[in-house]
Amino acid sequence: MSALQDAASPGYLDRAPSQLRRRRFQLGDNAAFYVLIAPATVLLLTFYLYPLLQVFWISFTEPKPGFGNYALLLSPSVTRVALTTLRICVITTVITVVLAYLVAYCWVHAGPRAQRVMLLGIILPLWVSALVRAFAWITLLRRDGLINSALAGAGLIDAPLPLLWNEFGVVVGLVHYMLPYGILPLAASLRSIDGSLMLAARGLGATRGQTFSMVYLPLSIPGIVASAILVFIFSLGFYITPALLGGGRSMMITEYISIQIIEVLRWGLGTTLAVTLVMIIALLLAVVSRVLDLRKLFGAK
Amino acid sequence: MSDAALTPTAPTRIASWVVICFLLLPLLVIVPISLTDQDYLSMPVDGISLRHYANLFTSREWLWSFTQSLIIASISTLLAVSLGTLCAIGCWRLGNRISEAVRLLMLLPMIVPTIVYVLGFYRLLVDLKLLGTYLGVIISHVVTGIPYVVVIVSTALASFDLRYDQAARSLGATMSQSIRLVLLPNIKAAVASSAIFAFIHSWDELLIVLFIAGRSIFTLPRRIWDGINDKLDPTMAAVATMLLLISAALLFLDLALRKRES
Amino acid sequence: MNFTHAVRDVFDRPVRRLASAGQPALAGAISVENLTKTYGNAVAIRDVSLAIGSGQFVTLLGPSGSGKTTVLMSIAGFVSPTAGEIRLNGEPINHLPPDRREFGMVFQGYALFPHLTVAQNVAFPLRVRHRPRTEIEDSVRRALEMVQLERFADRLPRQLSGGQQQRAALARALVFEPSVVLLDEPLSALDKNLRHDLQAELKDLHSRVGLTFIYVTHDQQEALAMSDEIAILSEGRLVQMGTPETLYERPATRFVAGFLGQSNFISGTVEQARRDAFAYRAGATLLSQSGGPQQRDGDSVTVTIRPEKIRILTEAETADNRLESRIASFSYHGGHYHLQVDVEHVGRIVLDAPTWRREAPSIGQSITIGWDEDASVVVAS
Repeated sequence: MSALQDAASPGYLDRAPSQLRRRRFQLGDNAAFYVLIAPATVLLLTFYLYPLLQVFWISFTEPKPGFGNYALLLSPSVTRVALTTLRICVITTVITVVLAYLVAYCWVHAGPRAQRVMLLGIILPLWVSALVRAFAWITLLRRDGLINSALAGAGLIDAPLPLLWNEFGVVVGLVHYMLPYGILPLAASLRSIDGSLMLAARGLGATRGQTFSMVYLPLSIPGIVASAILVFIFSLGFYITPALLGGGRSMMITEYISIQIIEVLRWGLGTTLAVTLVMIIALLLAVVSRVLDLRKLFGAK
Repeated sequence: MSDAALTPTAPTRIASWVVICFLLLPLLVIVPISLTDQDYLSMPVDGISLRHYANLFTSREWLWSFTQSLIIASISTLLAVSLGTLCAIGCWRLGNRISEAVRLLMLLPMIVPTIVYVLGFYRLLVDLKLLGTYLGVIISHVVTGIPYVVVIVSTALASFDLRYDQAARSLGATMSQSIRLVLLPNIKAAVASSAIFAFIHSWDELLIVLFIAGRSIFTLPRRIWDGINDKLDPTMAAVATMLLLISAALLFLDLALRKRES
Repeated sequence: MNFTHAVRDVFDRPVRRLASAGQPALAGAISVENLTKTYGNAVAIRDVSLAIGSGQFVTLLGPSGSGKTTVLMSIAGFVSPTAGEIRLNGEPINHLPPDRREFGMVFQGYALFPHLTVAQNVAFPLRVRHRPRTEIEDSVRRALEMVQLERFADRLPRQLSGGQQQRAALARALVFEPSVVLLDEPLSALDKNLRHDLQAELKDLHSRVGLTFIYVTHDQQEALAMSDEIAILSEGRLVQMGTPETLYERPATRFVAGFLGQSNFISGTVEQARRDAFAYRAGATLLSQSGGPQQRDGDSVTVTIRPEKIRILTEAETADNRLESRIASFSYHGGHYHLQVDVEHVGRIVLDAPTWRREAPSIGQSITIGWDEDASVVVAS
């Protein structure tokens, strides 16, 4: 039926006013909710998304338009930084996830009182500034720091061990920073494993070790993936700890970017590296989102 | 019970407590260092001393940084919490494609490394002539703080029964009355919790400030950063200890809020 | 009982006020016209029309998923219909948001605000209308008296029992003197004995306040016991609307007969159709049935008969339909025996036999059963 026929039919006139009113009411009600989300959304679009897109834009236009900056990614200095970053992040992620699994497993299966104490131990560091934590590690690890003086005092070493301003220091600091982020998603995943499955496995004749490796561990793989991806992504983009504990010697990509901007004023290369970093993270998340709900990953914090 | 097959063995348990100590001890070690009677970073030798705290509380620079951080974090928190809460409520009630897109947008600042964002934000502030201003710093802390508020409040809203809102509306409350009189009182613990998060987020934020704060704005993190890079003295340990105590206090406040909620 | 006084006290006023404003004293007639609601491709309700008179207690009854709650939520204003009109006293109200429809509503699970005390909950509708404080206090006190919750005014909802919560929700829905009260399964969360008490209380309250009550339930006994009229919904359509007696005695469809209590269904082919009766054949058995000028020879027909309308016949007793049967199973229910009997050609028939009439039945026993031709009803299948 055409609109004209509709309008000509006898019922149309009776119906029209109320339908118009109804539509206005619906819109009016929803419009109010759009008004609620508008300020935050506009603010984020203007002062978050727009600057972010500008970073992309700059990487293709400065110093001159084209892909010139991206060709620089293969230069020796950039590849060295990239390899250092990758190495440190992989080592950090592996150590963090192993330790996080250990803690999460004991945490989830501990008694209520032990659980409360462990909860504090896990989330207190999360609430302490990265700067304070890096400072604490510096007092412990530097040449005349607490660890070296304690070891020397005990007569165990003659010369101070090089613990700080190298990759070792960065990894220790990063593992310390990332552990809570590794533990929390893992614990959430371990908590959701049905305990009766383990009983069933034992009842069917599996030993303790077999039960763990054939039932529990496979069931906890989603948690391991979530934990590892979160830690790896946060490590890639983290600035404070690597910059302070690396002391400029084992430079990671974030510090390298900031030097390009602040010291050598090479905006083209700086933004190109930044875009590359975002792309790598996006790619990782795209792969992982096939197995995990990303909203849960970042909301579970 | 079902735990029989799952109880960790003793060595596993001990190892997990070692990791917990690894998490906590480095934090606690700064407390005795801040009380040292020496002039360099060390454990107390002949007894404890409060003079590094005296240094701290008489230092105009440290006190000025403390004040600046407090002002910036308070204003940022106020804005982030009000805008973020309204946004979470709007998204919750709309539940359509647009609200999904908004929620996705809110995840960006949690995923994208700050170093990437700060490059573009620096350029934007140059264009707006806001480099080195409080307004610039506050805007950046608000837009990066809003997502935390949205996530925390959304979690609370997800468990809020829509029927309370319907009941309020059927009893004659307008939408804004229903939000003020029914919804907000029931999610106030989550809103408070999100405020604590937004505050800490701004209070601890360093990287953006390093890029955009110019010469006049020296927030606490920025002064600590300079201190670590320039002169490592026990006053730094006193500052770190104060920050540790503030973090711990806020954590216990948040835990208390969540406990009362449940 | 002061309950009565309190009720009169509270509800004398609105009636007077409405009357003095030149409106009919009893304003609360709802009509629903061709209401349809679809969600994408899914149809929640289709072309439902209801007329609910002022002061009536009308129940929307149906299994879950039948659309009864969607109809109620459309009347309340929470669901905007895809098509159709809802009118209050003849005026269309589709465009009004829920807060301007002025209907009292009692929700499933009550939806008492958890952060407010009972008194604050009851005061809520008056507070949002910005009534003066003294008037609010006054009305709240009387509303709480009406539901006998004065002593619990300062408790939080979670400190009340289920029945008390239900009463508080009722007081909250009535305190602002609405002309229509919508109740969405208000008793479903309560245990059986309490439910019976509150059914009576609610019915009593309704007859005193004279407001229109629109009540949603899936409980057939509740609907039969409380309603002036019942509208039965199934799969989004209105199947039949009428008084409880009409629906029970004269169900229009097989669904209504089966949904409201137990029933036997016998299918057959019409023979010997007359003006006021006809006969139908099920297998080799010929049965007679009154009514049905619309039946013609050769039509297939379904007839329903309630278990309590079937009699066990002695040699001397007569009935229009008389059948030989064998007891397949039975159970004892105090006031009656519930029997399942097998009848050749017709099949399994259930019936209720009063316990005082004869000695206990036994399985395999042959009995003669029967009913008159006006005890059974023709239904659409």
